[in-house]
Amino acid sequence: MKDFILKRIAAVILPFICIYGVYVILHGHISAGGSFAGGIIVGLSFIAFSTIYGIEEGRAKLPEKVLVWTESYGTLWYGIMGMVGIFRGAPFLANKLAGVDLGVPGTLFSGGLISLIGLGVGIRVASTMVTLFFTIMDEDCWREKRMMEESK
Amino acid sequence: MPAVITANLPVFVVIAPLFVGFVLPTFARKMRLVENLVIFIEVLMLAGAVYLTSIILAQEGNPIIYSLGGWPAPWGIELEAGSLSAFFLLIIAGISLPIALFARGNLTEEVGNKERVARFYVLYLLLVGALAGIAVTNDLFNVFVLVEVATLSCCGLVSARNQPWAAKAAFTYLILATLGSTLVMGGIGFIYIITGHLNMGFASQELGRIWQDNPNVIWMAFSFLLVGFGVKSALFPLHVWLPDAHSTAPSPASAILSGLAIKGYMICLFKILYKIFGFTLMQEFSVHRILLLAGMVAIIAGSILALSQDELKRRLAFSTVSQVGYIFLGLGIMNVKGLSGTLFYLASHAVCKSILFLAAGAMIAASGKHNISELAGIGRKMPITMAAFTIGSLGLVGVPLFSGFVGKWYLILGSLEAKDILPIIVIIMGSVLCAAYLFPVIRIAYFEPAPAEAWQDPGLSQKIALILLAAAVVILGVLPGIFLKLAGMAAAELLVFN
Amino acid sequence: MKMLLQKLIINYPYVAAAILFAIGVLTVLTRSNLFKKLLGINIMESAIFVLFIGGSYIRGGAVPILNKNNPGTLYINPLPSALMLTGIVVSVSVTAFALALIVRLYKAYGTTNLQRIEEMRNEVKDKCQQ
Repeated sequence: MKDFILKRIAAVILPFICIYGVYVILHGHISAGGSFAGGIIVGLSFIAFSTIYGIEEGRAKLPEKVLVWTESYGTLWYGIMGMVGIFRGAPFLANKLAGVDLGVPGTLFSGGLISLIGLGVGIRVASTMVTLFFTIMDEDCWREKRMMEESK
Repeated sequence: MPAVITANLPVFVVIAPLFVGFVLPTFARKMRLVENLVIFIEVLMLAGAVYLTSIILAQEGNPIIYSLGGWPAPWGIELEAGSLSAFFLLIIAGISLPIALFARGNLTEEVGNKERVARFYVLYLLLVGALAGIAVTNDLFNVFVLVEVATLSCCGLVSARNQPWAAKAAFTYLILATLGSTLVMGGIGFIYIITGHLNMGFASQELGRIWQDNPNVIWMAFSFLLVGFGVKSALFPLHVWLPDAHSTAPSPASAILSGLAIKGYMICLFKILYKIFGFTLMQEFSVHRILLLAGMVAIIAGSILALSQDELKRRLAFSTVSQVGYIFLGLGIMNVKGLSGTLFYLASHAVCKSILFLAAGAMIAASGKHNISELAGIGRKMPITMAAFTIGSLGLVGVPLFSGFVGKWYLILGSLEAKDILPIIVIIMGSVLCAAYLFPVIRIAYFEPAPAEAWQDPGLSQKIALILLAAAVVILGVLPGIFLKLAGMAAAELLVFN
Repeated sequence: MKMLLQKLIINYPYVAAAILFAIGVLTVLTRSNLFKKLLGINIMESAIFVLFIGGSYIRGGAVPILNKNNPGTLYINPLPSALMLTGIVVSVSVTAFALALIVRLYKAYGTTNLQRIEEMRNEVKDKCQQ
């Protein structure tokens, strides 16, 4: 019974938690939060999914290859956004000097490069949280099951 | 194109290893590509460091000031590439390239499988990038973030082997290093709360105006920073993590940890003590006497502890504890000759200790034995390795014509100028004790009869690495001209503040 | 005595930070359980966060989000909050790494007591040398 209730409620709520995390990431320059906190919320939604539905389903949704790719290229995205300033003659990580159009302060698109960098960092933090969770759970029970299956 | 590179050179030197390091795990299967990419980035860093040095020498020591994001200080983060930065960048690039050459090709036995080798290189490049950042930074919080990145990469490198004792050594190192980081953050907090600035130039101006009103807070800031950085750079009573950590790491990791990582924290301490507080404040609070005393105790205690170790890598680790004492002793001598001797000795110890650890690693890997008494006669079977070890130990002891002699000579000249005789006696005693624990290794390796086993020299890239480092030791000893001039300019720049 | 008590109550963030820092350092250095050392590190870092953020609070200041209706408001400096966010990230990373090392140590030695682990290692070393 407990599994039944948890699975039904999670199926309804977890997508909203994920979207809330993306909202916190994108609105980092207007209100509290930012890339790190939003990334943790997105990561937590995936961890809750793995806890409720089982680790195999969690692994199937986010295989290891995807996690390694998002971790590495999330950080490279930060570097590329920083180099945008250098290509236009301004110092590293420049926002207004690089000619990015900052709109009306207080709206969503007024951060310039800040939101884009935040998106990359947020995705990377989410994938790091999920990798940590899978690694520590891996040590416990998953590896023995996989070794038993491989030895068959 | 060259104008863009010249204008942004301080930032490129820092971000090139960092961002390339993060991309490495995605193609972990192709190990040749990973290793060649690492060596390519190291060569780029060496080229960047040499170019930066030529610019600084052409500008007569005026620093290049670079504001990240275009925001000038105090609103933005500022990088300042002066003669101290150029000096340390040359050391970093010049030593991490031979270590990367040494690690090429023989890491799979030490570390495990291919993914672990890729992760080792990620941590290696992160450490090199963080140390380059520490060299150029001019902002207190940047110092804290980079010190944390360096600490976590060092702990990762220590735990690279799959043995449980490596995990225990890495855990002790992590806990004590984080204790040090927290103390450093507390010290930075005190400076920020009373001055309101995080930029080093602005904080020092503000501190010069208000230090008489808050003597207690400045005392606390000094103590927190000294103990925090002392734990991380293994000053004598706070060195307990060093022998386990540096002897259980794989040999390229031990070389870069003992050679470069500890120096990075000491360069941080240099910058904070001399740029923010200034030497009048240091004399007012007697900090230079504390540093002198700590350095002298560390030299003697480290050498005595090293004499009783039989395992080769543990003996070299305790030797690091002793040599760190020389640098802290030099920090307390506050004139140009003393400080330039300290900086030169920092460079000389970095090169010598790296070559000692790499040669020891090659000998242990070839013969499988860890203790000195079991390595009899290995000098005749592995001539190039043992010759490199001999040159490294002569450099460390301070024999004339090798690099350690120039550093110790300027330290002695500096303390003569400050009219202090005790440091000179301790420096000479330290050299004698250093010979006492390094020369028996050479004697056992060359002059004892060897068992009939097939020990041979390591492969080609390892031999090139050892020859490069040995040539650096000899060149620093015979022609120290440019390095000494750069160290002198750096010392003059440090003493100018306040 | 009353002056001292009054000063302590006015500066309550610093007092809290000092007490937490002392508790953290003592826990790290005197407890031999691996988890307790990690908890001590976390308490120490929380003390430093309290020091920074409590030290930069301005009484009567407003949240540092731009208020277009009232141009003369006194904002609190957002810089220490941003610095401490970075510090929290560092603390999380250190905790994650230390937990992974504790898991590995527990699987190898079967205990989480540091003194017991050192004794087991010394026994193995003595047996190897004989």
